[in-house]
Amino acid sequence: MEKILNRICPVSDPEAVYFLQVSWEKDLGAGFGIILTDGGCAWTGTVSETEISREAADMEMNREKYVEELKKALILGEESAGKYNFAISRDEENALCHFSYERNLKDGSFQLGSLKLQKVSHPADVVKELLSHCLDCLGRLQVENEHLQKENERLFSDWSDVEKRLEKCVEAKEELEADLYNRFILVLNEKKAKIRNLQKLLNEAKESAADT
Amino acid sequence: KAPDLSNVNKVSNVFEDVEFCVMTGTGKHSKSELESRIAECGGSVVQNPGPDTYCVVVGAENVRVKNIIASNKYDVVKAEWLLQCFQSKMLVPWQPAFMIHMSPDTKEHFAREYDCYGDSYTADTDVAQLKEVFSRVTDNKRMPLDLIAELEERYLWNSCQLSIFRGNTIYVDCYATVNEPRTKVHGTRLSIRALELRFYGARVVSHLEEGVSHVVVGEDHSRVKEMKALRRTFGKKFKIVSELWVTESVKEGIPKNENQYLI
Repeated sequence: MEKILNRICPVSDPEAVYFLQVSWEKDLGAGFGIILTDGGCAWTGTVSETEISREAADMEMNREKYVEELKKALILGEESAGKYNFAISRDEENALCHFSYERNLKDGSFQLGSLKLQKVSHPADVVKELLSHCLDCLGRLQVENEHLQKENERLFSDWSDVEKRLEKCVEAKEELEADLYNRFILVLNEKKAKIRNLQKLLNEAKESAADT
Repeated sequence: KAPDLSNVNKVSNVFEDVEFCVMTGTGKHSKSELESRIAECGGSVVQNPGPDTYCVVVGAENVRVKNIIASNKYDVVKAEWLLQCFQSKMLVPWQPAFMIHMSPDTKEHFAREYDCYGDSYTADTDVAQLKEVFSRVTDNKRMPLDLIAELEERYLWNSCQLSIFRGNTIYVDCYATVNEPRTKVHGTRLSIRALELRFYGARVVSHLEEGVSHVVVGEDHSRVKEMKALRRTFGKKFKIVSELWVTESVKEGIPKNENQYLI
């Protein structure tokens, strides 16, 4: 079971803050549960797979595309803030809560879905559960964060170790090359000196032959 | 003290009428062993070199050996030569590698055959011999990169895959402030690029000055403007290329045309 908790503000009262938890199995398109709370009261409801199909059909929208829209509206939260509107209206006794979500367009908006949420008799339990869920998530993320940080440090130290080794190899190569070339040149120049000397002797012999 | 060699069995006449003076033995072959083997080959042994001594044989150098060398009268030969003679059952010709010291006569003879590093003027060399010759070059100056580049060009070795960037002087943009080596950004890909450039023959410099042929930049282009401004003041213009120029040249083993990588 996957769960996500988001903060939403209803269009009617932008100052009010509600917490929306959406829970689903594997895929949002297979139906999902909703818990809405303002911290004091809590309401709950479910949207079934058939309802999702019906909504998509009513809107003459491809079902997959509709599910994508639902994900953006209900799951992504902050990332798609402003692109989606939420309307919340509750009756006098807070027994029923009408919740709807719609896509914001340049010229108006269209409703993606709406449902009636039932009041939860022990809202404190719901809030407790939400808080526990948040703490669990936080703990998990902290562990993961530490792990990644350690991994990162290890990678960085490995990297600098390899860099130092590579530098040593490069230096050794440069030195070896410069040294070998130096030796090569010295030996080569000895040969050239010999050739020059032989040329000189040859010229001298030619000259003396010409003289006689 | 002379060893008693009176009852040695002669096995050959390789050293017939040749007088040796064995000064010291080697770790494996003692002085007396070498002496008796000389006798086996028909040679004679003396304890102090004299006018008829062919050569002084030395396994390990000591003070006496140094004095003999200083006298400059005798040829001082390594014991390895003697061992090769025993093995091949012939008088192996002396080669520079065997000689610890040469008398003036021998030196003159060698000078006609070998250069001062012991490389023959006429006989072909091989890897082992050349290594030996190189080991005798004690002048260990390092050849500067531009001379190497010249040499490679002259002998057409510049197509070698290790010389992709030979002759180039390259500034790598790995300093947070241009021309401030103290501000080097560590652990970046560019420092690896700099090592690669060096490995493949480039001269990598830490200052962007006149004479630089290329500047290599990474993802961070924040200093490009400044470097271009600097370029306007230079007589010889450098090219600013992305690090891809390095990686792709290395990958293909040839210097790629910079124009595709200009920034």
